[in-house]
Amino acid sequence: MSAHFATNWSHRDDARVEEAIRRGASRRELLRGLMLGGVAASVGTAILGRAGAAAAAAPRTGGSLRAAGWSSSTADTLDPAKASLSTDYVRCCSFYNRLTFLDAGGNIQMELAESIESGDAKVWVVKLRKGVTFHSGKTLTAADVVYSLKRHLDPAVGSKANALARQMTGFATPDDRTVEITLASPNADLPTILATHHFMILAEGTTTFAKANGTGAFTCEVFEPGVRSVGLRNRNYWKTDGPYLDSFEFFAIPDDPARVNALLSGDVQLAAAINPRSIRLVESQPGVVLSKSTSGNYTDFNMRLDVAPGDKPGFVEGMKHLLNRQQIQKSALRGLAEIANDQPVPPSNRYHNPDVKPRAYDPEKAKFLLGKAGVLGQTIPIVASDAAGSSIDMATLLQQAAAGIGLKLDVQRVPSDGYWSNYWLKAPICFGNVNPRPTPDILFSLFYASEAPWNETRFKSEKFDRLLVEARGLLDDAKRKAIYGDMQAMIADEAGTAIPVYISNVDAHSAKLKGLQPNPLGGMMGYAFAEHVWLEA
Amino acid sequence: MDAVPARPRLRLGYAFDPIGVLGLAVVLAWGLVAVCAPLITPYPVGEIVDLDYFGPITGQFWLGTDYLGRDMLSRILMGARYTVGISLAAVSLACLTGVALGMAAAVVGGWFDAVLSRFLDALNSIPGKLFGLVVVAGVGSSIPVLIVTLAVIYTPGAYRFARALAVNVNTMDFVTVARVRGEGTAYIVRHEILPNIVGPVLADLGLRFVFVVLLLSGLSFLGIGVQPPNADWGALVRENIGGLPFGAPAVIVPSLAIASLTIGVNLLIDNLPRRIRDRSA
Amino acid sequence: MKSQIPSLVLGRILVALLTLLVVSFTIFCATELLPGDVAEVLLGQAATPEAVAGLRRAMHLDEPALLRFLRWLGGLLTGDLGTSYANHLPVAQLIGGRLVNTLKLAAVTALISVPVALATGIAAAVLRGSLFDRIVTALAIGVVSVPEFMVATSAVLLFAVYLKWLPALSFTSEVQSVWQLLRVFIMPVITLSFVISAQMIRMTRAAVIEALSKPYAEMALLKGASRLRIVLRHALPNAVGPIVNAVALSLSYLLGGVIIVETIFNYPGIAKLMVDAVSTRDLPLIQTCAMVFCLGYLALITTADILAILANPRLR
Repeated sequence: MSAHFATNWSHRDDARVEEAIRRGASRRELLRGLMLGGVAASVGTAILGRAGAAAAAAPRTGGSLRAAGWSSSTADTLDPAKASLSTDYVRCCSFYNRLTFLDAGGNIQMELAESIESGDAKVWVVKLRKGVTFHSGKTLTAADVVYSLKRHLDPAVGSKANALARQMTGFATPDDRTVEITLASPNADLPTILATHHFMILAEGTTTFAKANGTGAFTCEVFEPGVRSVGLRNRNYWKTDGPYLDSFEFFAIPDDPARVNALLSGDVQLAAAINPRSIRLVESQPGVVLSKSTSGNYTDFNMRLDVAPGDKPGFVEGMKHLLNRQQIQKSALRGLAEIANDQPVPPSNRYHNPDVKPRAYDPEKAKFLLGKAGVLGQTIPIVASDAAGSSIDMATLLQQAAAGIGLKLDVQRVPSDGYWSNYWLKAPICFGNVNPRPTPDILFSLFYASEAPWNETRFKSEKFDRLLVEARGLLDDAKRKAIYGDMQAMIADEAGTAIPVYISNVDAHSAKLKGLQPNPLGGMMGYAFAEHVWLEA
Repeated sequence: MDAVPARPRLRLGYAFDPIGVLGLAVVLAWGLVAVCAPLITPYPVGEIVDLDYFGPITGQFWLGTDYLGRDMLSRILMGARYTVGISLAAVSLACLTGVALGMAAAVVGGWFDAVLSRFLDALNSIPGKLFGLVVVAGVGSSIPVLIVTLAVIYTPGAYRFARALAVNVNTMDFVTVARVRGEGTAYIVRHEILPNIVGPVLADLGLRFVFVVLLLSGLSFLGIGVQPPNADWGALVRENIGGLPFGAPAVIVPSLAIASLTIGVNLLIDNLPRRIRDRSA
Repeated sequence: MKSQIPSLVLGRILVALLTLLVVSFTIFCATELLPGDVAEVLLGQAATPEAVAGLRRAMHLDEPALLRFLRWLGGLLTGDLGTSYANHLPVAQLIGGRLVNTLKLAAVTALISVPVALATGIAAAVLRGSLFDRIVTALAIGVVSVPEFMVATSAVLLFAVYLKWLPALSFTSEVQSVWQLLRVFIMPVITLSFVISAQMIRMTRAAVIEALSKPYAEMALLKGASRLRIVLRHALPNAVGPIVNAVALSLSYLLGGVIIVETIFNYPGIAKLMVDAVSTRDLPLIQTCAMVFCLGYLALITTADILAILANPRLR
């Protein structure tokens, strides 16, 4: 678990903190100890949260939890293929199961699958667990799995995972508990892809989603899109550990201060995505714990390489040097971010290449390069929106830096409403926001391959495409790591994307809520908290 | 009117009520700030000058710093331009159109009145923020678009109110007399109706001004207001609301600025010399 | 004389139906002008051209927009509000509970703020120029000029976070007694009262002052009538027109304008529903919400117009 935090933090340190808590050290003392050890305050708090949970010994069954996410609308859905936001993911994780899931360390664990194996990374054999039943009472069979996966290929379903699912070209069911998936070309990452939220397993033939019929830890009691949902403990759940809660209610409070206030007043026990500026307030209140995870979410600055001004030699490189990453990290995100190096694989990922260094903030060099591109003295429009988190702040900072070297940036703030379909991928220079994806292959295939559906800057490289296919089929991890390292360097040097920082997610919860751990798939334990947490009396 | 006691100052005729003078002073002061803002801001509005955020009032930053560590004083001075300018323009436009149409409808009556009233009712039944969202999504955001949008949103209200007042006056004997005399609609509106409704109409204008200031901040909230790094005062309150638990000046000062401007405008209107305000009776 | 009222009401109802039709068509055109459609919004970042085309076909969005509008209108005539594009639930089901919530909040707010605002406004007019009048006038403007989210957030911080007297969120599902109802509603109602009272206070004060300055009021005073009598018998009937209009306009805000209060207190009402509908380009839902707002608004102002006519005999 330490992989997602400070790199010098070991299991022994975890144990030491736990021991100290048992001895009864105060939170402040412990924090001071951690600070001396060189761990930043906010990280320290998160570690304390976890160690505290472990020290509390056995989980307690019972109680009901109220949790607040940050966005919800009438487009909320119980259809995992359409799930688009935290609110949908939370619901899907509690009402359904996946074939596999990712644990806190980013390792693959089996869920509905008993095993997933392949000799050539092209044909995969999935063995299903025995004795799993849906909420309706029906038993899970191979046909359900095939139905659930095949849906993503049907355009009428409107699946968000269509781009990932398209590689699954053949399905076979030799018997009731075995599924054979054939891929268009070898991909060693299939077990990880199946662990993402869209690939939840439904009962065969499900077409309406007024209520959820899954195999998950909770049954769907109430679902009102844009309002709330309530889950009751599934008494026939196939896992032996959990769920512990009798019921949980989930809804969204989009207003940042209102969400924090609801937690502090005790109306909710878990509030997701705390604004960095509220952390001082939350920390000053007793009985509230912060939980931080940096899992690779980023807001990126995209300069299209196929149109002006991004096509002018020197422009992209110059702008990358104009980004003051330290200032973005400190001022815009109040330290809740890690400096990034213009490529999408975060340090918490085991394929991250630490040799690709972040570009330094260097206005002189930027001035030289932008002068070469012939844009100094011109006015260049930049599109930013609240839809891409912190992009307006980043644009404002960039605007100031540019003014210093005689480049006028015209920041155009546009409504979040319609941003992704009208500006993103279309405007010559605009911001994007990318959610954590568990593998480099998914990130590269979706955002950087020449034919990628969301190639934000029209980056085209034959060599890159070739390396991508080669690495995908490799079962030898060391070789893959080397190739992915090279590809990260290519993106940082050649693509039109500037990724200034990886943004951390901070959730806050009542000290009575135990069992919450960070997860590489995102905040709130990769949105799957409901099944794993419990409430102390 | 002299029968209402406790108003000795009235006998001085032209004299301004001191409270009215105070209101005028506040409005003029903000107007002056709006005009001179670029000359007197200590720091550029968009520049991060403080490593901390929600900073307190210090000698270096007279009104503290905002959520990014930008100088609040500079942001408020520049914000005055947008809040004062856009709101005054929009409210004047809305009231001029609304009151003129309202009086005309009351005097002309008949089909003209019925069609205009129902049309403006229809317009008014669409919530303002949604209307703004649609317009800006359609034509894009610029200062003239904002002014016209705000004016259109508030015209039906001004119309409705002016018409309700004017209809009452229209039934008075002196209007009938004027009509019998053969005066035209324009004359009746200007000389008979307007002087008799100007008091409540001005009271309405003062309030409408407050609503326009607030709606402008509401539009900024939807991402369609003034473009960054500039911001109007309402948007300044909104973007710094996280500082409220800390009592940060960044959230309190713009609120006070809005309150001082709106109260100033209304004190001025409420205490205009009577010669200007109600020429009737 | 009174027989005029029923025919006026009937006429107004006919006009209201026409207005509804015009509004629904206007809303339809405006929605069509908005960039993007429901298929693109639902797919979000995944909106590749093929995916959008596929989803559009599946949702019958490839039919001409006008045809879809007429179909919705036809459904409306038979009492069918249609199905939401975004989640395939019947619009009636989506709106039902939330409309009740909105009306509940509006009713409680109106019951409290209207009498208080009218009494304050009349008192200020009668005591014109006094300290009381000055304080009321300044306070009314001061209170309304604080942005709503500031009032609501301050109230939550004080009463829910620090004092822990009240819940920070308004859970309607838990209301079982009057006491709970009070606890849930008190902060939203106070916030909304702040917003709508100022207009009513100011207009009442201005209208009563105007009426008091009329010759007949001065005549009554000369005749020796008491001030209370002058206000109630002579000034008020003449001031009713503007006052009821101000009340109607203020109350209409409680239907579609309470988006900020709904958001901060997590109160599921119809204003947030309409904003959601617009951002997902969910035509049937947008239309139905707009109809509800329009109907509520027309009912309020028609009532105001009728009251104004009843109060001023010369208008009959």
